[in-house]
Order: sequence, then C-alpha cells, then structure tokens
Amino acid sequence: MHTEPTPLLTGRGLVKRYGQQHALAGVDIDVSAGEVLAIVGPSGSGKTTLLHVLAGILRADEGRIALDGRRIDQLGEAGRSELRRTEFGFVFQSGMLVAELTAEENVALPLLLGGRDRTTATDAAREWLGRLGLAGKEQRRPGELSGGEAQRVAIARAIAHRPKVIFADEPTGALDTRTGHATVHALIDSARTTNTAVVIVTHDRELAASVPRTVAIRDGAIDQAVPAA
Amino acid sequence: MNPVQLAWKVLRADRRTQVATLLTAAGVAVATALVLLLASLPFATESRAERALWQEPRYELSTGVAPTIAWSFSVDEIDGRQITRVDIAPLTDGDIALPPGIDRLPEPGELLRSPELAALADSRPPAELADRFAAEPVGVLGDEALRFPEQLVVLVGHTPDTMPANALELTAFGTGDPRPDQLLTLLAGVGLVVLLVPSLVLVASASRLIAARRERRLAALRLAGATPAQVTAMVAAETGIAAVAGGALGVAISPLLHRAATTVPWDGGTWFAHDFVLGPGLVAAIAVTVAVLVVGAAVVGLRRVVSTPLMATGGHTRKPLSGWRLLLVPAALALFFWTLSRANTGDGALPILVALGVLMWSPTVVGPWATSALGGIFVRSWRRPAALLAGRRLRDDPKAAYRASAGVVLAAFAGSMALTLMPSLESEAGYYSQFRDEVLYLDTNEDRAGPIAAAVDDKLARYGLDARASRVDQAELVSGDQYHTATIATCADAERLLAGVGDLPCRDTPAIYVDPALDVADAGVPDASTGSAVPLPADAPVVSTDTAGLLLVDPALWPADAPLLEVNVAVPADERTRETVRTALLAGSGGEQVVSKEMKLGQQDTQLADLRRVTVIGLVTASLLAGVSAAIATAGSVMDRRRTFGALMAAGTPVRTLARALRAEAALPALVSTVGAGALGTAVGVGLFGLVSGSPAVFSPWLAAPVVLGALVALIAASVCAPALRRVRAEPLADE
Ligand SMILES: Nc1ncnc2c1ncn2[C@@H]1O[C@H](COP(=O)(O)OP(=O)(O)OP(=O)(O)O)[C@@H](O)[C@H]1O
Ligand SMILES: [Mg+2]
Repeated sequence: MHTEPTPLLTGRGLVKRYGQQHALAGVDIDVSAGEVLAIVGPSGSGKTTLLHVLAGILRADEGRIALDGRRIDQLGEAGRSELRRTEFGFVFQSGMLVAELTAEENVALPLLLGGRDRTTATDAAREWLGRLGLAGKEQRRPGELSGGEAQRVAIARAIAHRPKVIFADEPTGALDTRTGHATVHALIDSARTTNTAVVIVTHDRELAASVPRTVAIRDGAIDQAVPAA
Repeated sequence: MNPVQLAWKVLRADRRTQVATLLTAAGVAVATALVLLLASLPFATESRAERALWQEPRYELSTGVAPTIAWSFSVDEIDGRQITRVDIAPLTDGDIALPPGIDRLPEPGELLRSPELAALADSRPPAELADRFAAEPVGVLGDEALRFPEQLVVLVGHTPDTMPANALELTAFGTGDPRPDQLLTLLAGVGLVVLLVPSLVLVASASRLIAARRERRLAALRLAGATPAQVTAMVAAETGIAAVAGGALGVAISPLLHRAATTVPWDGGTWFAHDFVLGPGLVAAIAVTVAVLVVGAAVVGLRRVVSTPLMATGGHTRKPLSGWRLLLVPAALALFFWTLSRANTGDGALPILVALGVLMWSPTVVGPWATSALGGIFVRSWRRPAALLAGRRLRDDPKAAYRASAGVVLAAFAGSMALTLMPSLESEAGYYSQFRDEVLYLDTNEDRAGPIAAAVDDKLARYGLDARASRVDQAELVSGDQYHTATIATCADAERLLAGVGDLPCRDTPAIYVDPALDVADAGVPDASTGSAVPLPADAPVVSTDTAGLLLVDPALWPADAPLLEVNVAVPADERTRETVRTALLAGSGGEQVVSKEMKLGQQDTQLADLRRVTVIGLVTASLLAGVSAAIATAGSVMDRRRTFGALMAAGTPVRTLARALRAEAALPALVSTVGAGALGTAVGVGLFGLVSGSPAVFSPWLAAPVVLGALVALIAASVCAPALRRVRAEPLADE
C-alpha cells in the first residue's frame, strides 16, 4: 500500500453556469505536486471552463479551490492575478505570444512582471530557450518562428518563473501530430526538472494515453465510465 | 449580394463596426460642418464689406469729372468703441443714387445714424456724444447700410462749404466689388488645414478601430475568391455609408455652427445671420468632396489587404523607416521661407498656404521616424516591463503609434505659430505722435484752422472746461542745402502739448528755439515758385535748448502765406474730460478727424483681441478633435491586440502594468512630437511675422502652452487605456 501524495491543488463541488446551462455541474478534482494530468472529453463538455476555474481566470459560481491547503477561490481580482503570475504558468492553443517582443523578451516577461531585474530575467529566459532547443533563435519575433517553435517559446515562458502548476489548453491544437507530441513532451520533461505539475486539456487520445493520469469530462461532470489511469 | 448589401449586413450584425461607423460619421460631420463654416468666412467678410462700401473712401470715384457729392470719412471713438462718421454734401440738384439701407440723403444740419448709435447717444449727456455731430437726427440707417449689427455709424448732411477740410468730390456713393477681409481669409485657410486634418485623423482612427477585424474579414473574402475590385467596392460601400450619413449630418448642423459664428466678434463687431450663407451648389460640392476624400482614404488604406490575401497582421516584419524622412522638415521650412521671400512679388497667398500645408504635413512623415527612434532608446535601456512593451511597440509599428498623436501635433504646431505671432504683433502696437499722450488734436487746413479753434474754444467754454485749443503747425525750413521740419507754436503751447519737450527757456517775446546740434543759420521757408527761400525775420532771437532735435518757431515770426506741411488744432484733456473735449473738437470743426492715443491703441487692441479669440477657438477645437481621435486610436490599438493582452492578463499580468505600457505608448510619441511641432510652429510664426514687420519677434512663455496642451490631451487620450483593458479583462480569452 502506497501513500497518496498530498494534493497541491484541489477543487471541490465546482459549478459554473452560463445562463441556464451548467458548463460545470459539480466537479471534484485533485492535482498533486509535480504530476502530469490530462483532461479529455468531447467538445463543449466543459474542459476549458474547468481549467479556467482552477487557474482563477474564471470565478466558479459554487465550490471551493485550494492551493497548498489555502483557499484561493475567494481571492479578489488582484490576488488571483498575482497567483496566476507567480504560482501558475499558461500555455495556450496558439502561443499567444506578444507579437512585438522577441522570443527572449516573451519568456522574460513573467519574470519581469514578478519583479525580477532585467539581467536575471533575460538570463533565465535564454537558459530555458536553450533547454527547449531554441538556442540561436532568442532574438526572433513570434512571426519569424514556426508553430512548434512558437509553442516551445510559450512553454519556456510558462515555466521560466518556476510555477507550481502549468495549465495547457490544447497546446498541440495548431500543430501536426508529431510536432504536437514532441512539444508536449518538451513541456512534461521541463516540468519534471522543476517539479511543476502540468494540467493538459487535449482531444488527442494518443497523447492522453501517454501521460500518467487522465480525467474525462462529460456534460460538465467527471465521467466515471472512463477509468482514471 | 452587392457590396452595399454586404456592408449593411456587416453593419447590422457587428457592434464594433457600428461604433466605428458612428465615429466615422461623426468625424465626417464635424469635418463637413467646419469646412462649410471656414469656406463661408471670405464670403461673410465680403457681404460685410459690400454693405459698408458707402462708408469707405473710393478714390477711383474721385475723378474730378462731374462730381455729385462731397464726401468725407472719419473715425471717432467713445469708450473704446469705434464710431464711423461719414459727412456728405450734394453737389448737384439732380438725383443721387443712394446705397441700400439709406432711404434719403440727410439735409444740411441733419443726420442718419445706426440704431446702436442712436441708443448710445440718447443714453448720455449731449456734451459727451450727441453734440459731436452738430446735426439733428432725422432717421435710422437700415441693416443693409451697416457693416455689422451693432456698428456705430453716422451719416451727417452738409452744404459743400461746411464739409471737413479733406473731403473728396465723388461721382457717386461707393459701389463696386467689395474686397474680402484678407486677414480673415488667410486665417480661414490656415484654419482649414489646422481643423480639417484632425477631423480626418479622427475619421482614420475610427476606421482603424475595425481595421484588424476588417482585414481578417477581407482576407477571408479574398481567400474565398473575391476579386480585389469586389473587396475594394465593399470597403468603399462600408465607408460610404458612414461618409454619406456624416456629410448629411454635417450639412444639417452647419447652420448651428454658422449661428454660433455670428456671435464671435471680428473687426469691431459680430455678424448678421445671413452673412454666412453659402450657395447650395457650393455646399453640395464641399459635402461631396469631403465624403469622396474619406472614402478614397479608406480605399487607399486597403492596398495591403487587397494586394495579398494572406493576413497582413502578425507575422510580417516591417521595414525600418528611413532617416531620409528627417530631411523633409528642413526642406519644408526652406520651401516655406522661400515662398515667404517671394510673398511681395504678387503671387498672392496661395503658394504660402501650399508651403504651410507641406510644413503641417511634415510632422506626419517625421513623427513616425521619431517615434521609432524613441522606441529604439526604450528597447535598449528599459528596466521595467512597461518600458519594454512600449518601446517594442513604438519600434515595431511607429506609424500606428504616432497616428494617435497626429492631431495633437497639428494643434501644437498651429498654436505655437499663432502664439509667436501674437505677442510680436502686440509689441508692434504703439502710438507715435508729436503730441503728448493726453492731447487730442485734429488736422485741418490754414483757412479753417482759425475759425475751428475759435468754435472749439466756444464749445469748451460752454461745457465748462478750462482747456483751450492751440494751433500747432509744421513746416519745412531750408538752411543751405539742409532741410528741417519746424514746429510752429508758442513756447508755452510747445511745453504743454509736445511729446518729449520738457521745460523750455521761454522768452517773453517771440523767438526761435533750437537744438544747437541743428545748423539753422540763415534758415528760410523754401518757395517753390521762385526757387529761393523766404527768410525768417533776421532780428528774431534764437534760443538754444537742450531738447534734442527741437526746432520751434513762434507763429508771430512765421512769414504770412508761407506754405505749411500740417495744420493742427490741439487740446489737452484728462481721463474725465476726454469725451467732452472730443465733442468740442468735433462740433467745432464740423467733423474733422480727431486723433487721440486711446483711439489708435483701441483699434490695434481690437485686432489683437480678434486674433487671440480666433486662435483660442481654433486651438481648443483642434485639441478637442485631436484628443478624441487620440482616444479612439488608443482604444483601437487595444482592440487590435486584445488576444495578446487577454493572454497576458490570463497569465496574471495586472491591468495596471499593461495600462502603464499603453499610456507610455500613447503619450510618449505625442510628447516628443508636440515639442518638435511647437518648435516648427514657432519658426513659421517668426517667418510669418517677418512678412508683416521688420522688427524681431517676441518670445513669450506662452509658447509652452500648446506643448503642455498637447501633452495633456495625449495623457487624457491615454487614460482610455485602462477602461479598454478592463473590458478585455472581463473576457480575457474570448475570441472577438
Ligand atoms: N462565455 C460563454 N458564454 C456562454 N456559454 C459558454 C461560454 N463559454 C463556454 N460556454 C459553454 O459552456 C460549455 C463548456 O464550454 P467549454 O469551452 O468549457 O468546452 P470545451 O470542453 O473546452 O470544448 P472544446 O473542446 O470545444 O474546446 C459549452 O457548452 C459552451 O457552449
Ligand atoms: Mg476548449
């Protein structure tokens, strides 16, 4: 018998309504430190909503969320902003990099916003870009990178400030299968070195199968028919 | 589906397109109404001038052949307001054609006056105003005979022998082509540029609001196989709807603007409502031209999307702006000063206005370069993320970043130009007279001077004043081959009345008083008929004085019938007696021009006050337009990048930080370029001033005002950043 790792991020009874419709209808979910978790489910089932609620981008209508045992669902906008900036990292579907900034500056941005000075931030950015195989492309603009490269810049940006959790919403959506898998594994490998948990929303069954744990969502609730790996 | 239908469909469905269309229409409406007003200014001054033709000296009607009227014009003043006085005497028994608004000629001893003058004269003691005309009011001048509604004007009837000394003999009352007010026409031209450009920038900013979205839509249409012509037609239709609606609105509100303009005084008075009317053909032409310009600008702005179906936003790298752009400023300045230097060759104001247009356009070319350079400095030396974001943005798309401040820059340019001109013109204002400031005097001829002085003394006595009239004349003296101007007056009068003359060593007997520096030995009065000089009495005592340049001859020593240059009757007055002394001089002289310092300075003050008023109105209007368009442009730039900003906010970037970056982005180019535009405007102001004066321009601390105003407007405009970002934050990851 092995001991359950203490959950890092917990959500209990999460409900999110859009008018009459329940996008989330009472979801319980745990994310442990350093684990990799995939959220799967049909289109419109509530995956993105769950991710946004967990990350504090959206406010849940009901339910509790705690990080390290500390309630975070009651924080105000400023508090949640700070949390997202310091404890979380984000990888969006299509990079969403700042078009005018170089790759290096894009990665340094969260560090700078967190109060780090210019040298520290750019050094860290260069290091992560190197680790993700982008050495030599630090001064390129997002428009001068391929989709996969841009996504790896986004990963470097999400991880450079060593967050506790990285949320990734369909990070491979705009990439071909092979590049997509390589990108996700670059994310997972990086996260392992910093003991960062990764929550990935994906449609890709093959990808979902390759990560340690999967949670399935249907109509805003955890789908018990799909066994959690 | 034809382009107009497609445009309607988009307009009905999309809220942001609705907002942009409304703003575009509003911008077009403002532009149209402003152009309609400015275009009517020359006509308005012309119809003013036409009504006042009978009040103006028309030397071309003084041919000497069969004159019908003796006509004299003078300017009078009460409480700083100008009174126009026309004296007239018929020279024939036949019919005299009367100007509009004058239904009969006043008989000798009668007068017609404007309603405002009638009210003023009836409200004061006769000694202060009514007596000046020494005639019985028998009627009122109609509106068609008044320059402006509240004009003080009087038409006094005479017999030919009671007419003032300098009366003209005219063949008819003044008719013919009225000349528009040149200064106001010039200002209308400047105003056209200064106000039209910010309104067009406003229109451009409004269409930028949906540019990114429209580009995407058009790119989709292009990819779906629409031809460039179809896409262009669609945009033309979209903008056309806004332009037509705005143009119609502009024509509709233009009477209100005209109505407001009638209350703005110019050249001494306000306007009649019908002064500003433009012909329907001209109105239609202006409205259509503005609309066509706007649609044309929208179509030209689309070149990029039309030429390539791939999306223009995002991935493309922009070419850095060439430093050659900087050369435009010296080139435009050179062109401007060149046209100025040729201003007197008779080409008129058009080349100067064109050069002014080029100058005003030059910040638009140089501004983006300066913006990019500024961005470069930031990119190199940033310490905080806001500076990095702003710097990269400025460097990446300097044109877009500059666009927000283009209007402010123009306002600063025009403002510093005007503010350079005004204090300089003010310093030009002055009063030069041989008499002391408190002296009122009139200029007449030798025959009339005696009777006038007696009549004036009579009036003064009757009004209970102690002051009396004195003769102070001027004449030419020749000594050897040296010519001198001598003042002919008693020593006591000279001490009392002449400017710059202090205590004189007055003798009891007639004498000649002279600055020893002047060589007046054997001086005599030149006699043109004999070619020799009539000597002054040889035994006359010559007294040296220490008053520089003085050559004073007692009237008793002046040879009878020797020619005089100038014959003046002068009376000293003070604050309390001034209006009454003026009345005595006018009543005693039958309407000669009476001169005083107050009147001269009053006229100059009026002009400067007019200029300042018009400048303030123009500056405030331009700043308002500029502020609005800068705000729209800033909001547009947030909307263009809402996905990026949304992602940054989702990742925890505070609105505060982004707002700081955006504010820097909006305000910095404005600050830098308003300073530049201010300097440029000052240079142009100095140039324009040189056109009208030889003396150096005066620089006042007010020159900083437009720059401060510009910066303030830019900051206010930048304050829309935070609200716009908060709207993004509401749904950070929503697609548009
Ligand atoms: N802003 C919104 N307003 C109204 N309804 C919304 C909004 N966002 C999501 N929904 C609804 O909530 C439900 C869940 O949406 P969500 O985006 O979480 O689905 P998803 O599982 O991420 O789907 P997909 O796989 O297609 O991205 C959907 O039915 C959607 O229509
Ligand atoms: Mg989704």
